[in-house]
Amino acid sequence: MKVTKRGLWAVGALTVTASLVLTGCTAASDTTDSAAGNGGSLTVWVDADRASVLKDAAADFTAETGVEVKLVQKEFGDIRDQFVAQVPTGKGPDIVIGAHDWLGTFVTNGVVAPVELGDKADDFQAVGVTAMSYEGQVYGVPYSIENIALVRNTALAPSTPATFDEMVTMGQAAGTEYPFLVGLDPEAADPYHLYPFQTSFGAPVFGTDADGSYDAEALEIGNAGGDAFAAWLAAQGAAGVLNTNITGDLAKEKFVAGEAPFYLTGPWNVPAAVEAGIDVAIDPIPSAGGEDAQPFVGVQGFFVSAKSENALAANEFIVNYMGSEEVQTALFEVGGRAPALTASFEAASADPIVAGFGTVGENAVPMPSIPAMGAVWEFWGVTEAAIINGGDPTSLWQKMSGDIQTAIAG
Amino acid sequence: MTTATQHHNPDAVIDPDAAVRSGAVVGHPKRPFKRYFRETGWRHLVGIAMSIFAAFPLLYVFSASLNPGGTLVTANSLFSNFSFQSYADLFDRPQQPYAAWFGNTLLIGGISSLGTVFLGALAAYAFSRMRFIGRRVGLLTLLLVQMFPQLLAVVAIFLLLSGISEIFPAIGLNSQIGLIMVYLGGALGVNTYLMYGFFNTVPSSIDEAAKIDGAGHARIFFTIILRLVAPILAVVGLLSFVGTTSEFVIASIVLIDPDKQTLAVGLYQFVSQEFSRNWSIFAAGAVLAAIPVMTLFLFLQKYIVGGLTAGSVK
Amino acid sequence: MTTSPQTDPGPLRQSARSKRATRIADAASGGWKVVAAKILGLGVVDAIAIYALFVLVRSESWLVAGLVTAVTLLVNWIYFSRGKLPAKYLAPGLIFLAIFQIFVLLYSGYIAFTNYGTGHNSTKEDAVNALLLSSQNRVEDSPSYKLTVLEQLGEISFLVTEPDGSVSIGGNERPLEDVRNAQLEGGVAVGLNGYTPLGFQDIIAKQTEIAAISVPLTDDPNDGMLRTPDGSSAFLYTSSLEYDEAAGTMRDTNSGTVYSDIGTGAFTSDAGQELLPGWKIDVGFDNFIRAFSEESIRGPLISVTVWTFAFAFLSVFTTFALGLFLAIVFNDKRMKSRKYYRIIMILPYAFPGFLSALVWAGMMNQEFGFINTVLLGGAEVPWLTNEWLAKGSVLFVNLWLGFPYMFLVTTGALQAIPEELTEAATVDGAKPWAIFRFVKLPLLLVSVAPLLISSFAFNFNNFNLIYMLTNGGPRDVSAGVNVGATDILISMVYKVAFVGANRDYGLASAFAIIIFILVAGISIISFRRTKSLEELN
Repeated sequence: MKVTKRGLWAVGALTVTASLVLTGCTAASDTTDSAAGNGGSLTVWVDADRASVLKDAAADFTAETGVEVKLVQKEFGDIRDQFVAQVPTGKGPDIVIGAHDWLGTFVTNGVVAPVELGDKADDFQAVGVTAMSYEGQVYGVPYSIENIALVRNTALAPSTPATFDEMVTMGQAAGTEYPFLVGLDPEAADPYHLYPFQTSFGAPVFGTDADGSYDAEALEIGNAGGDAFAAWLAAQGAAGVLNTNITGDLAKEKFVAGEAPFYLTGPWNVPAAVEAGIDVAIDPIPSAGGEDAQPFVGVQGFFVSAKSENALAANEFIVNYMGSEEVQTALFEVGGRAPALTASFEAASADPIVAGFGTVGENAVPMPSIPAMGAVWEFWGVTEAAIINGGDPTSLWQKMSGDIQTAIAG
Repeated sequence: MTTATQHHNPDAVIDPDAAVRSGAVVGHPKRPFKRYFRETGWRHLVGIAMSIFAAFPLLYVFSASLNPGGTLVTANSLFSNFSFQSYADLFDRPQQPYAAWFGNTLLIGGISSLGTVFLGALAAYAFSRMRFIGRRVGLLTLLLVQMFPQLLAVVAIFLLLSGISEIFPAIGLNSQIGLIMVYLGGALGVNTYLMYGFFNTVPSSIDEAAKIDGAGHARIFFTIILRLVAPILAVVGLLSFVGTTSEFVIASIVLIDPDKQTLAVGLYQFVSQEFSRNWSIFAAGAVLAAIPVMTLFLFLQKYIVGGLTAGSVK
Repeated sequence: MTTSPQTDPGPLRQSARSKRATRIADAASGGWKVVAAKILGLGVVDAIAIYALFVLVRSESWLVAGLVTAVTLLVNWIYFSRGKLPAKYLAPGLIFLAIFQIFVLLYSGYIAFTNYGTGHNSTKEDAVNALLLSSQNRVEDSPSYKLTVLEQLGEISFLVTEPDGSVSIGGNERPLEDVRNAQLEGGVAVGLNGYTPLGFQDIIAKQTEIAAISVPLTDDPNDGMLRTPDGSSAFLYTSSLEYDEAAGTMRDTNSGTVYSDIGTGAFTSDAGQELLPGWKIDVGFDNFIRAFSEESIRGPLISVTVWTFAFAFLSVFTTFALGLFLAIVFNDKRMKSRKYYRIIMILPYAFPGFLSALVWAGMMNQEFGFINTVLLGGAEVPWLTNEWLAKGSVLFVNLWLGFPYMFLVTTGALQAIPEELTEAATVDGAKPWAIFRFVKLPLLLVSVAPLLISSFAFNFNNFNLIYMLTNGGPRDVSAGVNVGATDILISMVYKVAFVGANRDYGLASAFAIIIFILVAGISIISFRRTKSLEELN
């Protein structure tokens, strides 16, 4: 009875495997009808923070329209890749919350459907709608707009500095441990937080084409302003004003502890300072190179899946419902993020912190969402970190610009 | 020192006299220091040094958990604050149901590790006691399969489970049974090898004797062999429990509803949000999350180091 | 699936006599319980299989249904026939293995031969739909129309009111016509005789149908189509792309450029310009060729490969050495409080790994980390930013993370070594070191050598540690490639295949297969070398 047992289980294993491969394939080509029943239902992916904010709004929408809204909680960082992977299988959600700079990936993968804001487009802040557009087409409904600004501890620095140098002088006069804080990374600095200084030297990443979209062909980062910015980084690094060992968490903790009068950060870090009893004022970002210091603006909003079988209900929900003043104001009250709808934003501006960040945001530019930006991130931060830590500014900066150019072309 | 002492008191900790009795100077409560140091004293030094090495970074975590609003990186002044607020907050977040995560983790980890031990022991028994064509190759294949880089595992598992969902929604996506099945897929592999090695040390004369006594192979396996290999079963059970409780990549794909998720997935959420990291609550969650593993180890330790084989193999 | 087989005799020596003896033994030792359990277990498996078959047949997935049948029959056959003892013990684990591990492996293998990735992640049909969807441009300065959806004899019509108050009706491929007798409400037409207006609920129920309707503005399709995104308003769109189904080409209606499917998985113009999204196609060995020709890989390949081997080997060596040392130290029964030391020792293993990596990264901060400020009294050692120190730090942190595993495993394995051996050697006058070196260690290696090999493979692909602790850094910015000093092969692959938001799964899979072949080859050779050890028993 010496049967080849191995043969047996090998066949078994293969059969099962094969059967599952096929199951997988059928699943990929099938689309299930998630909207069974008359009321229909919408599946919305949100992150934990927004889930609590949206819960009431979703319940109200269901009560009003009979459309069930199923909120699925995801980690914000995972939403982009999972959405891209799952929409083609027909198993993805109808709506996702996301950041505007994911749009390039979404459109390139064909997983989002355009959204028609109609006459409502004018009700949103212009930068919100611009950020939600890709190649002239609007793909999302903006919900909140965020940007960084200079947060000042009024007890340590009584007035608003006009330039970066003035700020450093004021900071040194305050006698605190640090004149100025910004969270960086030892390895990759932080191009996002340093960008306003870069723009103040007249060196944006990309130029824009006729309709105001970023143009991957027009890389501006390595222009003369870029070199000046690089030299400035080296000087600030040598002077110790910029320090890559001060990470985001450290910067926050030091500012909350009152160890610096100025802190370049976004609204997300302000509550901790206020809770610690610090009286803060939100100031424009001081220019380092003479021109306007324009930070990046990050817009968050809702996108509709290209394969949603509930497209009408989804649009109704995000455009007419989430886009209404009532809901945007309510979302602000629960979540504390500055609304993208102008009317709601004005109401929210009663809060001086929201108003302060909003003022800075008027000057801000959307973070590019074109795929070429991936190549930029790859080289940008490490080069900044190397320059701050004593590398030769001009050659490193030019090398970076060249590498980015090659990466985009390749 | 007599061997009898060792065999009757395999675990010296349970019997506080054991150490004394095994000392050479019977009747004297203490050994001379030099001898004490040579025999066990230095072991304590090693133990203390290693305890500091092992536990120190985690004191940070504990300290951070007692300091609401603080961060992890700047905790150089340890225990500057003593507040259990973060622990209270942990159970007071409807969107992040920590208590449910805790229960799910115990359930999923418990069932997965029991299943892994069972499936692995079955296979290890076959490899150890039976001779069949492809045995060596099969054993090697089990190990090699798990060496495949898991870069795409997430995409494949999503497809697979969504396929299963079409047939059995109850064991597909968003079901804990589905996740347990995925974990059981890894039951054979390194662990089988570990058990296989241990099974081999149990002399086959024991099987033969039982067979002569009239026991069937299932009876031999379940009532005799499994007892003899208890230490390795406990080790594998613990390893697999730790493995499943700390796994979050696959779990976050499979489990969608917050109240079905596990601790690792949930805790990862606390830090994955770059702009609203809540270190203190996260640290508190991690401290509590380590308790089941510690408890399980405490419970299993007497099986792991109980020296069961020493007595029974004779 | 978990039935316990019982009715078979041992596999080694099979004679009629032993068979009979076993049967008698089974009868005497309550074998019927096992038989009952077996029948129950198989019954459950068969019931599940029959249900699955029912579902599969209904959805006409004949092939899958056939395979499920075959596997079910096989399982029944294994457990009902006599003999096949190894299969009985192996089948449960193997079934799970086949479904959840081999599938992943085969799937990755399959992906390596496709262009799956950003821009190519679905079918051609989906790509066409997505392209047409995003090419719908609203006609500039066109008004927004108030819409009432009407139904007549199952056919949907759009009743639209322009901002100037004029009302018209139209349907799918039926151009708008003026309507005079509509029922108005606040200047908006809400109904028309002979038609039933649809409420929101009805619209939602028919939303797929309604969303697909496009009403021509006039007889000339170039004037645009009215479509509705939400059922209550309609907008005028023109499409900048036109799909010619017969020819399989896309035409840009503004520029007249024709994009055709030239077999690269995307519509491509004669000038070589691609329209994205494209779709997933099989590309044969292209990804493997790219894996070997990719410029950003070839440059740092040698140094990264050397470091990967060094990292994997040293990680296994250090963790095993420390784990074994501790296992022996705490295996002395004379020692008190071993239990508590052991518990503290497995702490690093009990905490979530991502947390540990974050804590260590913080502690190793050059200026503010605990190691420099407190332990070294203000030194500024660049633990994570100097090339060699970073390599050392990575190994050190991996030692911290990994020694509890080795400690546990060796503690377990030490129990398998009979006391008698040690005692006999002691009686023979052997020194403790000699006992360890010549008695315990060889025996220990029998059971743990395979684990060391698999631990080597694990560390070879230990992406998580590198990613969370240093992300491959520090990087030499003048090198012009996104690869750092602590990058191992798998993290380098990740950086090359997943640049920014772009995901090239095809290339990543090809790399995964190459790395797998490498690691598996090394492992097989190592096994050959440990073969003698294995035969010790």
